[in-house]
Parts: sequence; structure tokens; C-alpha cells
Amino acid sequence: MSDASRNASDLREGIMATLSRQQVGAILARQGILIAFAVFMIAFTLANPKFLTPDNVLSVVRSSAIIGVMALGVTFVVISGNLDLSVGSMMSFSTIVVLDLHDKMGPLLAIPAMFAMTLCLGAFIGFLVGYLRLNSLIVTLGMLSAIHGLTLTYSGGQNMDIADKEGTWFSIFGQGTALGIPVPILIFVALAALLGLALAKTPFGRKVYAVGGNGTAATFSGIPRARTVFTCYLISAACVATAGLIQASRSLGSQNTVGQGLELEVLAAVILGGASLLGGSGTIFKTVIGVLILGFIQNGLLLVGLQFYVQFVVTWVIIILAVWLDIAAKRGKLWSPIA
Amino acid sequence: MKLRNTLAASTALLALAGVASAETMKIGITQNNVGVDSYQTTYEKAFIAAAEANADVEAVVLDAGGDVARQIAQMEDLIQQEVDAIIIWPTNGEAVIPAVRKAKQAGIPVIVTNSNIAEAGFDFVASFSGPDNITQGARSAEIMCDKFKEMGIENEAQVVHITGQPGYTTAIERAKGFEDRLPEVCPDVTVVDTQPGDWNREKSQQVMEAFLVKYDDIDGVYAGDDNMGVGALNAAKAAGREGIIFVGATNFAVGYEAMAAGDYWGSIYQSPVDDAEAALKTAIDVLEGKDVPFLNYFDTPKITQDNMADFTKPVF
Repeated sequence: MSDASRNASDLREGIMATLSRQQVGAILARQGILIAFAVFMIAFTLANPKFLTPDNVLSVVRSSAIIGVMALGVTFVVISGNLDLSVGSMMSFSTIVVLDLHDKMGPLLAIPAMFAMTLCLGAFIGFLVGYLRLNSLIVTLGMLSAIHGLTLTYSGGQNMDIADKEGTWFSIFGQGTALGIPVPILIFVALAALLGLALAKTPFGRKVYAVGGNGTAATFSGIPRARTVFTCYLISAACVATAGLIQASRSLGSQNTVGQGLELEVLAAVILGGASLLGGSGTIFKTVIGVLILGFIQNGLLLVGLQFYVQFVVTWVIIILAVWLDIAAKRGKLWSPIA
Repeated sequence: MKLRNTLAASTALLALAGVASAETMKIGITQNNVGVDSYQTTYEKAFIAAAEANADVEAVVLDAGGDVARQIAQMEDLIQQEVDAIIIWPTNGEAVIPAVRKAKQAGIPVIVTNSNIAEAGFDFVASFSGPDNITQGARSAEIMCDKFKEMGIENEAQVVHITGQPGYTTAIERAKGFEDRLPEVCPDVTVVDTQPGDWNREKSQQVMEAFLVKYDDIDGVYAGDDNMGVGALNAAKAAGREGIIFVGATNFAVGYEAMAAGDYWGSIYQSPVDDAEAALKTAIDVLEGKDVPFLNYFDTPKITQDNMADFTKPVF
């Protein structure tokens, strides 16, 4: 082989390598969180072969469905540039209300009644944040406590249980299966598809991004900022009501603190999925990945049998690692002196 | 002169009032967080009912709403009101100690109810009235062991343990009671795993789901209360795993029903009514100068499918 041809082939190889590195970089940048997810799944499977069995996967996704459904709604709120810290106590409210009404008016009426009551709460928050332009952190933090008080007042502090647990069809939302797949998962997937389309493909979805990206510019472009934010909180409340329905149906009875603290897990899942707390970015698909990462971490640590005091620490180390991997992939390097 | 007379008269009046109220005992209570769960709600109702039924008692009933700062302020209010005795259900076993000491220095006996304060505060407490959680844990171990012996699997049984919220005294004591007692009565039974269910039915169900995946053979589940026990039971039912012996503590209505249905084996019967009445009685006994033990436990008996007919269904 002559020197010239060798040089040419070297050059070609060099170009190929550069191209593929760029391509890999581009894929990494878009799917950093997916890669992080894959890494954890492989690590946990190596630690315990039972981790990736269909039974376990289904049970984790089913457990995650409750937080997942709430996270779908919160994704809208976060993209619109706001926060919703009230979803945990609102979920307790929905659960307690639907369980109480179940025995009083039957499941067929109890479910729409509960949805209506929860949507009223969502509308109230949406009014305060959207139309009165109050700070969403303060409003929803206040509502976290106020709704908790409302639930306690409603229930008189008592646990709420359905009297006839065997004879009600109400259990299908939490315990039923269709085609071998638990109904909570089906609800989660269907809602994710529906809301994912609404966010990505409709004019309303684009308004949500616009309002969150730059509210003032959106207003001057004729986008109804207040109504968009209001609708986001309605969507969030509808998701919370759905989560409450699954929760109530799953155990057919509940403490009135059942959703306590879930707002942080929901927010963690949304942020883990890459939605910016400043608004304007995020997708439903990535939120779903965020939800699954959280669910599988918790389950994986249980299966590994780590002492539970350590689990709190490890969970958050993994979350921060995932966020770092995601950002590092976007920047194309692990460390950057400028943000 | 006139002023002095008025002062003297009012002092005399106050003294008279003091004599008059010496007949009735003014007992103040600051509770932890009424309304947050059925146990505390029922406790408050029972306490008020017991105080009203006793003509010699005038009760000042307060609730701290789970807030340590508010509870300390309530302690100070009760000291200012010069109540005869204070009953406290601590929101936090450490943080309330200075307030308890202040009451003691003001000459007001303090009775701790339900959950004890930290040992550093014991010198300032007249008596603790509440359940003995270590005994409860031990009794749960005995219930489980007896059942295993009845089934003939006491030499091989595997148990998983779902505890209450990490860091809570009740959770720690019940877990200790259970894990110390089980090897004494059933030395060949192994506890294969322990995880917290945080007193939460849903969390406990998730933990149990993971246990069911991890262990092919589970013979018994001990949960720190029935709420978590029923959560674990739901997981086992959903997975179609039968023949597991579920034992809890603090018998809740859901646990009682599951026992009636034959799904749940046993628990510890702890009545908030007994708890409240025991606290009031301890306070009265202290005020009447009776000899009250420092740790004044009320009895929390074993309840299983065999003897559940002797107990009324819990209201919470």
C-alpha cells in the first residue's frame, strides 16, 4: 500500500470517528436521563436477579402510578413557570372524600362528586396564581396546610374505610387487571399519552411553554397568561383526583395523611425528568422516566437489602447523580466552570 | 389606706377562691396532634368524657397541633393558670424537657401520657402513664411463635418485620421487644428482613411487595401497627400468596375486620379510651398523694382470632 492511499484511509477513518462521536454526543445530550436510567437498571439487576422479573417490574410501575399520575399534572404547572406543593395533601383529600362518599351515595356518584370537589380546589389555586398573580410557592404551600386541615375537619380525624370491601366494584381502579396489566398502570399510561399529546401537539401546549418561558413576551403576543396558568392548575387537580381514586381503590380505606410528603417526591420526579423549575422546558415523556427512576430506586434498594437508614441517603445521592449525568450530557463534559 | 383595704379584701377573696377550688382539681392537658389520626381523636373525646364524669375534676384541654413551640407555650400558659397538675403528650421527647422542668419548679406535678419524654427529663416528671411498647413487641412475638407451634413450623419459619417510622420511640421499642423476645420463645425462627413502613398502609404495601419478590418463602409478617399489617396483607393477597401469619400491634378497626375475615392472625389491643382514662387517673392519684409508680403502664392484652370475641371492635 502506498503512503498516499494509507493517508487517505486514515483521513476517512478520522472523519468517521469524528462523525460518530458527534452523533453519540447528540444522542447523549438528548437522552442523558435515559442513559442514567439504564445504568441504574443494570446495576440493580446485577445486585439482585429478581429485580428485572416481570412480577417485580409490574409491581413497581403499579406503585409508581399514583405518584406518576400526579407528576403528569405537576409537569404542566412547572412548565408554566409555577410550582404546586399542594398535591400531596390534595391527594389525601380526594382519597378520604371518595371513600366517605362511596358508602353514602355509591361509587357511581361518589367518583364524579370527588372530582368536582378536587377541581374546585384546583380552580381556587389557579385563580390565586393565574388571575391574582400571587406567588405560586406561597399559595400552594399555604394550600398544603389548608387542605390538610380541610381533610381532617371533613373526616373528624378518623380513618376512612369502605364498609363492604368484598362487594364493591370500586376496587377495579387500584386492584383490577386488564390483559394481565394492573389497571393503575393502564390509567397512568393512558393519561401520559393524552397529556403528552396535549402538551406537545396542541396550541394550548405551546401556550404553556410560552407562558413559562417568558410570561411578559407571551402576554404581549396575545397569549392569555392567566387563563393558561389557571388551566394548568385544573389539569393538576384532575390528575390528583385520579391519583386519589387509584389510592382509595387500592386499599379501600385510608388514613387522612396518606398523601403527606408526596409533593416532594412528585416534584423530584418532575425535575429528575429534566423540567426546569424556572419554567418553559420539560416533557411528559421525561417526567415518566423520572417517575420510573424514583420508583425503581426505592424498590431496588429494598431488594438489595440495604439498611434503611442508609436508603434515605443513597436515594438522594442517586437522584443527584442522575441530574448531574443529564446536565453533563447536555454540556458534553462532566465538569464546567461556567453554568 | 383605702387602697390597702381593697388589696387586703381582694387577697382574702383570692384566698377564698383558692380554698373553694381546692375541692376540685384543675388538670391541664396539652396533647400532641388531635385530629391527625383516629387514635388521638378518640383519646381526646375519652379524656373529656372522663373529666366531665368526675365532679372533682376541672379539665383544661389543649392541643399542640404537632408543634413543639406551641406545646411549650401551652405548658407556660398552664403554669400561669396555676393548674394543679399538667398532663403532656409530648410532641417531641427532648424539646419539651425545659417546659416540664419549669412546671415542676412551679410546684405543678407533670404526668406524661402515651409516649414518654427523654430520660434527661425523668427527674421532673411525676409519672408516665401509657402503653408498654417493649412488652407489646414481646407479646406480638409470643402470638406469632404460638401460632407457628400450632402449625408445626416453629423450626423453620421465616419472618419479615415492618417497623414504624425510623427514629420514633414507639417504633424502636416495639421492634426491640419483638426481636428480643422471638429468639427466646422460638429460637429457630429467623427474621429475614426488616424495613420501615412509616406507620403508613400504602408504604407498607410497597415494602411487602418487594419482600414477596425477594423471598419465595415467608411464613410470618410482624408489623408495628395494624395499619401497616393490613397494607402488607393487601400485598400478599394481590400476589396470591396464602398461609402467611400476620401479627400487628395497636389493633385498628381494619385489623379487627381482617381478623374476623380470617386473613389476619393477631395483634395487641390498645384502647385510646383506656389510655386517656389511665392518664387522668394517674394525675388524680398523684394529686391525692397516692403512691404511683414512675412507669404506670396500662394493660394492652393480646388479641387473636381465637379470643377476639372478648373485645369490642376498635373505633379507630
